[in-house]
Amino acid sequence: MDSQSQNTSLQRLQNVEKRVVRVLELAGGVMDELANPAGPRKDLINNHCLDFMQLIKDIQVTLRGEIKSACEYRPFEKCDYSSRIANEICCKKLEYVISQMDGMKQTVDEYHGAV
Amino acid sequence: MDGKLEVSLDKLPVKRLDAIEENGFERFPSDVDYDEKRLSLIRRIDFAWAVEKDDKKKQKKSSKESSAPWQWQSMVENLQLAHQELSVIMDLINTVEANDAVTVASMTRPKPLPNEILSDLSVSAATKLQCFRHLGKYFKQSAKTLEQQVTREARFYGALIRLQQNWKVKRQRGAASAPGSEGFTIDLFDNSLYDPAAVFRPSSLSTVRLDHDSAGMLSINLPPNSRRSIQFSFLGQHSDDTVKEPYKIKTYPSVDNHSRESEKESISDDEYVKETHSLIREVHRAIFDEQVFDLVNREASNPSLGVNVTGIRENYLQLSLGQGTCVFVSLAPSSQGDQMVESLSSQNIENAILPLDTLDGVKLPEEEQDTPRKKWGFPNCISYEIYLQQIFHEHVFMKAKDRPVYTGARGSGQGAKDGPSLLGHFCMSLDHRIFSNKVLMELENVVCRVPYLHLLCNPTWLSRSSSWTVFMKVPQSILHAGCQASPSTHRRMRNVIKSEFRTKIVVNDDCINVEGEGAPNVVGLFKGNSGEISSMNRYDCDLADLPSIILQQAASQVIGWLHEEALLVGIKVNRDFLCLSFELEQGETLSLVAHVDPEDTQGCISWWLLMEDGFAEERKLHMDISDGASEYRKFLGHLSLDVLYSTLMDLVSLCSGGGSQ
Repeated sequence: MDSQSQNTSLQRLQNVEKRVVRVLELAGGVMDELANPAGPRKDLINNHCLDFMQLIKDIQVTLRGEIKSACEYRPFEKCDYSSRIANEICCKKLEYVISQMDGMKQTVDEYHGAV
Repeated sequence: MDGKLEVSLDKLPVKRLDAIEENGFERFPSDVDYDEKRLSLIRRIDFAWAVEKDDKKKQKKSSKESSAPWQWQSMVENLQLAHQELSVIMDLINTVEANDAVTVASMTRPKPLPNEILSDLSVSAATKLQCFRHLGKYFKQSAKTLEQQVTREARFYGALIRLQQNWKVKRQRGAASAPGSEGFTIDLFDNSLYDPAAVFRPSSLSTVRLDHDSAGMLSINLPPNSRRSIQFSFLGQHSDDTVKEPYKIKTYPSVDNHSRESEKESISDDEYVKETHSLIREVHRAIFDEQVFDLVNREASNPSLGVNVTGIRENYLQLSLGQGTCVFVSLAPSSQGDQMVESLSSQNIENAILPLDTLDGVKLPEEEQDTPRKKWGFPNCISYEIYLQQIFHEHVFMKAKDRPVYTGARGSGQGAKDGPSLLGHFCMSLDHRIFSNKVLMELENVVCRVPYLHLLCNPTWLSRSSSWTVFMKVPQSILHAGCQASPSTHRRMRNVIKSEFRTKIVVNDDCINVEGEGAPNVVGLFKGNSGEISSMNRYDCDLADLPSIILQQAASQVIGWLHEEALLVGIKVNRDFLCLSFELEQGETLSLVAHVDPEDTQGCISWWLLMEDGFAEERKLHMDISDGASEYRKFLGHLSLDVLYSTLMDLVSLCSGGGSQ
């Protein structure tokens, strides 16, 4: 997993989930290999196990980082609902002004058309 | 079973007396326990014959095997024996499990035979491989389902995290949450900034549930018409044609629950989140509007200055303002389609109130000349809707330190904020706006018809105060005002430099105040001292008198200017309020008189030339036609300032030339 694509914590957590899926797939592969009637191939199992351990380590590192950074966020600390309403009122004002200016422009155009 | 059969007899199971004592007490034998009874019965049976029989059988068997065996006989017998042993062991195990009379003392494993060891090994190896295969399948299956679930939930949580950047998301775990929804809600109730005095119940809208829809994506289901918005309008405005309705610029598509599901595949996740966000914004606004309406009702129920309630219905409040206008405030479901609610109408542009900058002699469109007076219309109700929301928002919902500070009185004469309530202030602002529209109409009518007057608007940024300036620019004098060696008064020096005259009109609530030069100073008039005639004066006036007052101001300013110009040239002129008189020889006076008529459609200020001989008469503003014996009058018409100036110069040359009329 390239690290430059993980720029939001949501993406990092999604990558963790993908790694968990991959870990499960590797475990299944190892089990299948061990159940091979001809006997397990050692190198394959080695590779799988190495990948497994690496992925588990990555998962652990990422989760630790996420948990630490999540603790700093206190929810609902600065509630911006009233300034949001103020902005909504400003939006309404702007819409109104735009409509008035459109009307003015129309008047000007009509005047020029008449002249 | 052969052998002799032996029979033994029991006594009848009747209670028999053991003994009787002397006092008559009977003694019975004690009861025998059930187990002991059984045990004694078993003991009495003789199993000797069976044991002997076994021994005999074994001897017989060993002798029988040597003669003609069936080839499977031994295996059958082995299996039978094994079966018997197994059933004995099973019974033993069941008894031990039931903990009935036997418990295990110790167990030892029988020593395995070599072929048994191998077969054990192969069986366990086969079992292990089977388990591995099973596990492998299980892991792969889990991986697949986990991947599906992860991608499905990734959409949901991705959308949730984007919404969380703007809204408060809360989670409620436990049985209360519906299955399949995980209990996420968005809380739209802002409990951080309210005054303790204002108690607000959280509206039913303020908790929005986030559900999963059929594709696993986040969805919000709101009952239709549950969101209402505040509307403000004037009564009787429905009859106006709605020429334009440009003000509702919807930047987002209106969200309709039914059409949404069919279009879902075609909208990307981004747009879907944006739509959901807009929906939540609408709900948030609806909650605010409900609170504003609630506050309006509360304030209306307290009798206060400027607010008269004339009607109350559910979600509807009707007020009457000072000049007989009726307005209503209502809470109506915000439309989800494109149709506008009928009580909102915008104005014809001619009636719309726009702040005017200089008209600069622009000829108005054709229809204006037919109707000399424009009809004034109601102010645009959208702007007042916004204003109502704004003042309530600022004064109730924001912390005191964040509120904008208005310097100066909000409208003159208003004391602390507790006096007139917010609604009272709003109604008074509305009154003021209607009144000042009328004032503006009058001013426009005047300024339209006099080409050298211009109207400037001075924005006051106060809701109950408006101001305009009527502005007149005079042409530069030909004799450039160099330095006059005469001991000019301060006023004259000012006059030399001045080339424009201003009259300021200020309206506070419904009082008009006019301030400008050229206003008559009564004392100066009587003294005849020209230095005192024109000064800056302020006075109040009525709406009905406003046009004539303005015109008189302008005319007197023109007279004043002409007076100065004449003085510059060195001619002795006398100035009255609206009259400029030159003395000719032989005591005759030639006067230039301004006549002011607000109703004149061709121009409001007209000029007369008046000649009188000899006797000083009081100059009258309005002339009596019948009194024409000793005067000659010539009507000059409506003159522009340049023409007036050249007329003045002609008169000057006439005076100085010494020619008599």
